[in-house]
Amino acid sequence: MTLNIDEEQDVSVTKGMIRAEFNFWVGIVMDKFYDGLQEKKFIGTKCSKCGKVFLPPRNRCGDCFAKAEDFIDLPETGILKNFTVTTYKISERKTRNVKKDQIVGLVQIDGADSAMVVPVININPEDLKIGMKLKVVWAKNIKGDPNDIAGFEPIGGV
Amino acid sequence: MDKVAIVGFYQVKPGLDIMMSPYEMLFEATRGALDHAGLKRDDLSTVIGCNNDYYDGKTISNCFKVEAGGAYMKDESKVEMDGAHAMMYGLMRVLSGNHKLAMVYGISMPSCFPYESARILETDPTFDRPINILNGYTAGGMQMRAYLNAFGISEEDIAKVAAYNLKNAAKNPLALPEAQKTNISVDEVLNSELLSAPLRKLMYPVLCDGVTAVILAPERQARKITDKPVWITGVGHFNDTYYLGDRDLSSCSSMEKAAEKAYKIAGINDPKSEINVAELFGHTACEDLILAEAAGLADKGKGLSLINTGKLNPSGGTMAGYTPAANGLTRIVEAVKQIRGEAEGHQISGANKAIASGQVGFCAQNNIVYVLEGGE
Repeated sequence: MTLNIDEEQDVSVTKGMIRAEFNFWVGIVMDKFYDGLQEKKFIGTKCSKCGKVFLPPRNRCGDCFAKAEDFIDLPETGILKNFTVTTYKISERKTRNVKKDQIVGLVQIDGADSAMVVPVININPEDLKIGMKLKVVWAKNIKGDPNDIAGFEPIGGV
Repeated sequence: MDKVAIVGFYQVKPGLDIMMSPYEMLFEATRGALDHAGLKRDDLSTVIGCNNDYYDGKTISNCFKVEAGGAYMKDESKVEMDGAHAMMYGLMRVLSGNHKLAMVYGISMPSCFPYESARILETDPTFDRPINILNGYTAGGMQMRAYLNAFGISEEDIAKVAAYNLKNAAKNPLALPEAQKTNISVDEVLNSELLSAPLRKLMYPVLCDGVTAVILAPERQARKITDKPVWITGVGHFNDTYYLGDRDLSSCSSMEKAAEKAYKIAGINDPKSEINVAELFGHTACEDLILAEAAGLADKGKGLSLINTGKLNPSGGTMAGYTPAANGLTRIVEAVKQIRGEAEGHQISGANKAIASGQVGFCAQNNIVYVLEGGE
């Protein structure tokens, strides 16, 4: 007998479901960043060689391969470097169309040389402009993790 | 670099939901590649696979692929990036002088797992993942905006690239049937659903199941196996930072460096005139242009001109079917077919020097480029 693969034939699927809980040790530098969020503050790091300021912080500069362990307090304001608008929500399990615009921005905090991927809120997508000034909006319940950043909104309205 | 050739290859025709198990599909590809080269499994000395634990839903995803991959009681290893990276591992094994014949394959079955969710697990678990708005759609949207803004390109221009790819796919017998769109118009692309503005659905490839396999041999063996060896004359591989906020998304530095290195090894001074075919693994129609420009095939912001020459992705590229882990190898096989004059339906006449690329990471963080040549 030869095996015939018929396009119409229904081949069984087994679910093979697993659930695994992972923990991630955020590291010394990110722990300090999380502590800063708890106090509604941004704490970045500075490269000891080129002076670049990273936010979120890292303990090294990939380019100089030098330590970036000097902490630096950064303001709550920054500029919009790039953005996109999507109605899709992708979680660790599935992709859903939530039919509601979500604005994703690359926001560079004043004084930082890197930008963070964060939500942009309290603005209509058509009013977004690259280079516009934004300010952080903190979450109602501060927990000391990245979701303390509810998003960034335009300074002084649009 | 010593001469190493691609002497055999096989691509399983991709499908949205192939009714084979991954192991049945893999066997079709490896058996097919051996038959194509006129070789026996005994001739193989090493097997390198590209597959992914998360995509396969099992750890050590290669352990169950030993027999189907042709690796039973052989030297075998795995690369968990793109098939093009697995080929570099195979190439190194052959160049070491210890292996006479290497089988390289890439496989995944996205009909069985949520691919876009798997990309969420690519994100930084200490910042991007808890915020959970960085994913394949939003990264592609921001990259496209960066490219449009940097060079004054219109959304319509990107739609032209998407339509060009989908029309090319229609001429490629091994394209995903659902991606073969002979009569697609630019308006149709521009009116397709927004995935993440300005990126639209028809500018984004369709995920499908597939496997591609190639066989590598050093010069002496290659000449015995085939009268049409395709030589790997250059390879370059570079990695950029993970952080999108550190990069200029309108271009691709790691691709620039990878291509520069590959050209240097291959002795190519002017890629614009010397390369007749480029099969590039772009994640979106826009990224195809960014990568082509980074590879020096067009000036920055001028990549659109390549669709008039036809030398960019004559197969349709990944828009002809996106098979994670196999994408780069499929690009390589398409370039090899062009050089052998066997690209049925989409042959570029006189193709003798090609580049093919693979990648991993958001906005093509990591790129690998091969220069492939025919002749002596």
